Amino acid sequence: MPQAIAAFLVFTASIAPALAADDPPLSPWREFLSYIVEPFLLEGALLALQISVLAMIGGITLGLGLGLMRLSRHAAISGSAWLYIWFVRGTPQLLQLVFLYDALPPLGIKLDTFTTAVLGFALNEAAFSAEIIRGGIMSVNRNQSLAATSLGMGPFLTLRRIILPQAMRAILPGMSNDVIGMIKGTSVASVIFVNELTFRSQQIVGQNFKFFTVFAAAGVIYLIMTSAVAACQALLERQFNIEIDREAGRGSGFKLFNLPLRGSGPKSAAPGALAPVPVAKDNAEAAASLDWIRNIANPTSAELGIEPMPFVVFRNVHKAYGSREVLRGIDLAVNKGEVVVIMGPSGSGKSTLLRLVNHLESLDWGEITVEGKYVGYQRRHNVMKPTRDLAKARADAQIGMVFQHFNLFEHLSAIENVMEAPVQVYGEKPETARSLALKLLASVGLSQHANKLPHRLSGGQQQRVAIARALAISPRLMLFDEPTSALDPELVGEVLGVMRRLAEAGMTMIVVTHEVRFAQEVADRVVFMDEGLVVEQGTPAEVLGTPKHERTQRFLRMVEREADPA
Amino acid sequence: MSRLKGLLSALSSLGLAAALLLHATPASAEAKCEPDKVATKYPTLAGKTLKIGQDGESPPYSFRDPKDFKNLLGLDADLARETFGCAGIKIEFVTGGWSGLLPAVIAGQTDMMWDTLYYTPKRAEQVDFVTYLTAATGALVAKGNPKAITSLDDVCGKRATAGLGTVEEATFRDLSKKCEKDGKKEISLVTYPDMPGGTRLIASDRADVMTTDLNMVNSFIKSNPTTFDRGFMIISDYKIAVGYTKGNKDLGQAVLDGLTVLKESGKMKEIFEKYNVDYTLALPNEILTK
Repeated sequence: MPQAIAAFLVFTASIAPALAADDPPLSPWREFLSYIVEPFLLEGALLALQISVLAMIGGITLGLGLGLMRLSRHAAISGSAWLYIWFVRGTPQLLQLVFLYDALPPLGIKLDTFTTAVLGFALNEAAFSAEIIRGGIMSVNRNQSLAATSLGMGPFLTLRRIILPQAMRAILPGMSNDVIGMIKGTSVASVIFVNELTFRSQQIVGQNFKFFTVFAAAGVIYLIMTSAVAACQALLERQFNIEIDREAGRGSGFKLFNLPLRGSGPKSAAPGALAPVPVAKDNAEAAASLDWIRNIANPTSAELGIEPMPFVVFRNVHKAYGSREVLRGIDLAVNKGEVVVIMGPSGSGKSTLLRLVNHLESLDWGEITVEGKYVGYQRRHNVMKPTRDLAKARADAQIGMVFQHFNLFEHLSAIENVMEAPVQVYGEKPETARSLALKLLASVGLSQHANKLPHRLSGGQQQRVAIARALAISPRLMLFDEPTSALDPELVGEVLGVMRRLAEAGMTMIVVTHEVRFAQEVADRVVFMDEGLVVEQGTPAEVLGTPKHERTQRFLRMVEREADPA
Repeated sequence: MSRLKGLLSALSSLGLAAALLLHATPASAEAKCEPDKVATKYPTLAGKTLKIGQDGESPPYSFRDPKDFKNLLGLDADLARETFGCAGIKIEFVTGGWSGLLPAVIAGQTDMMWDTLYYTPKRAEQVDFVTYLTAATGALVAKGNPKAITSLDDVCGKRATAGLGTVEEATFRDLSKKCEKDGKKEISLVTYPDMPGGTRLIASDRADVMTTDLNMVNSFIKSNPTTFDRGFMIISDYKIAVGYTKGNKDLGQAVLDGLTVLKESGKMKEIFEKYNVDYTLALPNEILTK
């Protein structure tokens, strides 16, 4: 940037004398410099800046609201936001300002020049930033909000802590454009008596005709202001760039947006030491904390083992997406401490069934109880009605969930991922949550990687962090949705190892997986589903060893063929 | 200005234009400066600070003082200062783009526009006027008048420029048709958004002739004698007037009294000469409300 300014100055200096030749006694160069520091012009610049800053604050606040309204599922809400944006974006800013300034007084609303300008630009900016913010929000993978929801985080908490910090990268460039555009665009407000930089320089030119030196000086003042905006943009982009390693990073974070001070917290290995810790060592470390997992898994029962009490009960569960019926009447019971593996071809409704348990999706018919209670439903006149505060219902149910694609919060380190729900949802003190998170990461063999961001970890490591994160809410039930399907074959073992220990510790688990060996060795029961129905169920030996149903046999043959290294 | 017309009609449809008030006001018989008597002469204005809209970018009427940009100079600025000094009423100049000045008066955001405003019956539906100057058009050409443009007839086949939506633009369009009818070449017309922009078209040889208010043309030539010349001038029948809030009788009277005093005392002539405006263009002052 300094070079650009210097080049501009040299250019100006070389051209100006030729253009201002009529006036030999004055050096155009000095004249130009004197206009740059002319208080009359600088006051105009300050005014442009004040209006822009205030209007930007108002515009972004309003724009956030409008952007969220646009994303609403209710047509009335998204429609009215659309209408506002359509109108404001589609009509000239100049006319909007004149309207506010000159058409409202007869209605008894008389705004002064400055207020009108701030209001006018803010209302206009709201329409534009709404679309930028909406674009930013949509750029964040939906699996992020799914994970947050599964942890009992409400929509606004999810937005503030998870979505917006990640959306910022997409939002910032567009926003900077708007700020710069607005600083320059305040000149249209001269019709409502705003005497900003351009209008002031036009007035000087109107009087002395030194248009080249005056406009060049105004241009430099604009460049200085817009360079400051560009610098802020660069700083903020750095702040929200998760690809810059946090341990190597510098500068302070934005507490508001959930980016804690970089370099805070326990230091792990030297920056750049990305070699995965050997699994054997992980396991040794993990074994030491097995007792502690047991404590989470089964806090009340001293004795391990399955209790013959139905813990999760599905009764006649139906679910359709549009006209496509995904679940067509599922009846199933899972006992406390039991490990149930659900298998079946893709599209058989396994994942949907899991998502109904913690109410990530809503039921169409039937009911599901966890420990005798509905999760986020009330039964009224034999109809299941979702309760008002679903997030609280999910948090109260304490059901941990692990996803196929891990769904770790990309902008948070491993330990912050694990601490997020305890601190934000369950209101634990950060110190308590931190020591709990460290224990959990140790128990999945990852204490070495506590401060790494997810993209620095291998798939297997990410999935183990995800398990630790789910365990951090002290779940009474763990749901696993194809936890190893997205992993490279050599990484599957480390995740299954953790799950196996969890099962051994007595955790009640429903696992959707294609891992036949895991099912054979760990499951208490295997359920085979196809086309939205339970086809058969029984012990692993029964279902996997001597499947009765033809569809089960066919599926198992296919899975074995895939698993065959040949 | 076409933009302005749109605004005006929009505002009038909002019910701004009240029924026309006919009030014939004779020039005050005993016009003198009595700043102490403001409360008895103009009771509704006593203690008020009047807001006067000007654009600050059209010499010689309203422009920034080169010695101190915070000050406004010009024929209109000086006349306004003297007029209200005489009446004993405080004023404040508010500067904004010319096209926003009249809507602001209509909306009640300012009390008057005193900035080369032409009186028209259409405008008089929304504001009242006090006349003070005859409008005249000047033709700005490059130094030495290289295309020899000495009358409107000479503009046929040339490159002409006028302010967007102005009377001058309409004149050129009509003239161009006449040129073709007479078997001459048509006019190639470009419009400019602001006055300095128009003068730059002449200075950079992108246009041969620019027409606008005569005194502005004279002023441009005076400040750039090596660049510009005047091709010709036409005295029009437009009246330049102060536009003020419809129905504000005290304000109209104060302006009328002030201008009358300035004329009688010779102060007005002095101001005209200071800004090189031909004093013979000064109009009899009268209030026009329709």
